[in-house]
Amino acid sequence: MLAPSAVILGTFIIYPLIRAIWLGRQRCNPQGKNCDTTGWGQYTDVWRSEEFQQAIWVTIKFTLIVVPLGVALGVGLAVLADKYLGGIGVFRAIFSSTVATSVAVASLMWFFLLEPSLGVVANIGWINDLFPVVKEPGLLNDPGTALGSVALSSVWAGLGFTFILVTAGLQGIPADLHEAATIDGAGGTRRFWNVTLPLLGPTLLFVVVVLTTRAFQAYGEMDLLTSGGPAPQDSTTTVTYLVYGDTSEVRSDGGLQATTAVWLFVVLMGLALVQLRGLGRRVHYGN
Amino acid sequence: MNTMRQQHQRRGWQVRAGVLVAGALVAVACSSGESILDAGLPPPDTVPVPPTAGPDGSVATTIPATTTTTPLADLPPCPIEALEEASGTVELTFWHGMNNELEDALTELTNEYNAGQDKVRVTLQNQGGYNETIDKYFQSGPGGRPEIVQMPEYMVQQTADSDSTVPIGACFEGTGFDDSAFLPRALNAYQTGGVQWSMPFNVSNPILYYNKKIFEDAGLDPEKPPQTLTELRQYSKKIVDSGAARFGIAFDTGQDNGGGWFLEQWFSKGKELFADNANGRSAPATQVMYNNDFGVELLTEVQSLVADGLAVNVGANPSGQDSFLKLADQENPAAMTIGTSAALGTIKVVLDGGLIPGLTSDQFGIGPMPGPDEQPGVLVGGASLHIVADQGDAEAAASWDYIQHLVTAEAQSFWASKTGYVPVRTDALDLQPLKKTYRDDPRFKVAYDQLTASSDDPSSSGPVIGPLREIRAVNSDAVSAIFGGADVAATLEEAAAQSNRLIRNYNARN
Repeated sequence: MLAPSAVILGTFIIYPLIRAIWLGRQRCNPQGKNCDTTGWGQYTDVWRSEEFQQAIWVTIKFTLIVVPLGVALGVGLAVLADKYLGGIGVFRAIFSSTVATSVAVASLMWFFLLEPSLGVVANIGWINDLFPVVKEPGLLNDPGTALGSVALSSVWAGLGFTFILVTAGLQGIPADLHEAATIDGAGGTRRFWNVTLPLLGPTLLFVVVVLTTRAFQAYGEMDLLTSGGPAPQDSTTTVTYLVYGDTSEVRSDGGLQATTAVWLFVVLMGLALVQLRGLGRRVHYGN
Repeated sequence: MNTMRQQHQRRGWQVRAGVLVAGALVAVACSSGESILDAGLPPPDTVPVPPTAGPDGSVATTIPATTTTTPLADLPPCPIEALEEASGTVELTFWHGMNNELEDALTELTNEYNAGQDKVRVTLQNQGGYNETIDKYFQSGPGGRPEIVQMPEYMVQQTADSDSTVPIGACFEGTGFDDSAFLPRALNAYQTGGVQWSMPFNVSNPILYYNKKIFEDAGLDPEKPPQTLTELRQYSKKIVDSGAARFGIAFDTGQDNGGGWFLEQWFSKGKELFADNANGRSAPATQVMYNNDFGVELLTEVQSLVADGLAVNVGANPSGQDSFLKLADQENPAAMTIGTSAALGTIKVVLDGGLIPGLTSDQFGIGPMPGPDEQPGVLVGGASLHIVADQGDAEAAASWDYIQHLVTAEAQSFWASKTGYVPVRTDALDLQPLKKTYRDDPRFKVAYDQLTASSDDPSSSGPVIGPLREIRAVNSDAVSAIFGGADVAATLEEAAAQSNRLIRNYNARN
């Protein structure tokens, strides 16, 4: 009974994973040949290396911007659109539209918004006066703002996903709970914090886990918007970009790439466990 | 009871989660300060210094006339007669990285070839760009590879070391191919150890793009672009002081532009070697040499242009457009930038289409790349065509047939006039449409003229280094640090150490 899924899982997940872990103990040439086995020490060396430490730190910062902002905006929009008003469908369609936008398309849009020479945002007079960095050197070229700007494009691109899930979650909350709370004298704000949010728990947990994983694996935005720069600080070189990016020094060494990727897997697995066990206990599944 | 146990469990998990997070943070906080490139390896001081470079950095500076390092006899043969013997149509797949106008022109040449005979049929597969082509090619096994692949000039050594191609020199020998009309420099770029690895096809080099109107406003002759870095400074100063534009020139730090490629070009212009063993052409390079006095002086000059407000750094330039767009900036434009000649055709089309407000295609001028001295030469950029080995004899022979078609004088005349690439052979200049293009629009000829003006110094053949792509990434970081005001000598020293680490790792496993 289990055979078909076991074969598929084994071939496409388990075997490559074990192979990657094994490869992570080796240093190879660009063709993946003439590999020298250096041993498990390669894992500790990579973890402690300057480049990896920098990349994991950038990744954590990126996640800390993308996840809370993404969840807050997604919930906000969903609550706003969760009304029975004429034409609300139009807004729902707009709010969820980014789910149909690929990272590449979203990144290119943001590139043309933020590009300092001809970009739309960069050439609005009052924005320039208030924030000169938008024009010189440009949000994506300043080490202080690059990561935030890339994160913003990522939040925007992920908003449709959060919106749809939270909207579905909201529709699963029985209306009588809100009615009962209203009768007890709870206002809109109070109902949001004491009724809506706790009942959204399972949805939010799922959203947080998925958004975190996505943030840790984000690649397209950095590739298209900043090439992992601005150099020399490598302000947007995340772990994924370090593994595969155009400007990465390890991209031709399959061994080092594997070591780095396996570390990313371990960190993500640890995070997911913490999130599921830690937050999961606090979530009310309604039974 | 139940609730208490749940609470206990919850607390247990919280503790464990806390320990995990704390552990992760501690681990994050403790960095070894070492490079990831040393991971798993013994400390560098225990690695013996390769014998080819003396401890004082003294190296061979001439290319030996003949070498026996990689004789053709040990390499896959070019079975030219196999096409005659093949029955039916030979199907070829060609992986390339040409986009926009370049892809259109390549498609046209290929359609013409396919329609002109019925023995071979070539299918083009655009891989998205050079980087994508490289990764896909090297990570594929022989079964997944195409019959023909286009590789950029910085991949010469790595492709040769992969033992996966038929050296085109073997086909030259087999057919008695007449290469007398070819630009020797174009052929040399793809030679190491006396072996011609691939066929130059799209040859580019960096040229100066400038706005003639700004030159006029600043009281400069719009037909006389600056030739050297000294002149570049004088021109920029005049442009900025007169208020004609906010900046003289826009630099970038992209690795295939100002952060990597231009550096190699400037070294060649200064007749300086970039790497030892005659830029890696007499034997595999063992160390880079760009941290010498010449490099420090060169980058100090470039740095001061930025520091004095005469130049602007547009950053990593991931799209390759930022440096060009700076010329069209409505508020703070730059008057000049350096970019590949391969962009010329596309830029002309974009400007003719009115896509950039206030800038017409007649308004931009082209000059040679300004360099450290009067020496006008440049290195060959762009890419070449490789025949992939082990795809069958008929396929190899058919690939050779198709490649010959792409480098005929007629094809190169069409190709160069459509794209801005330099034709790989001189007789293409006598044929239409290139003859007319070069006569009517001399901007297209600047790249050709500066390439043919190069000297015969060994430094005129660019560096071939196994991990050159990664070294460019290192240099791109260094150049951005220097633009940001970092100490030039120390930055170059550090970049060279990192590059030598890459070379050492590469040479140890190839």
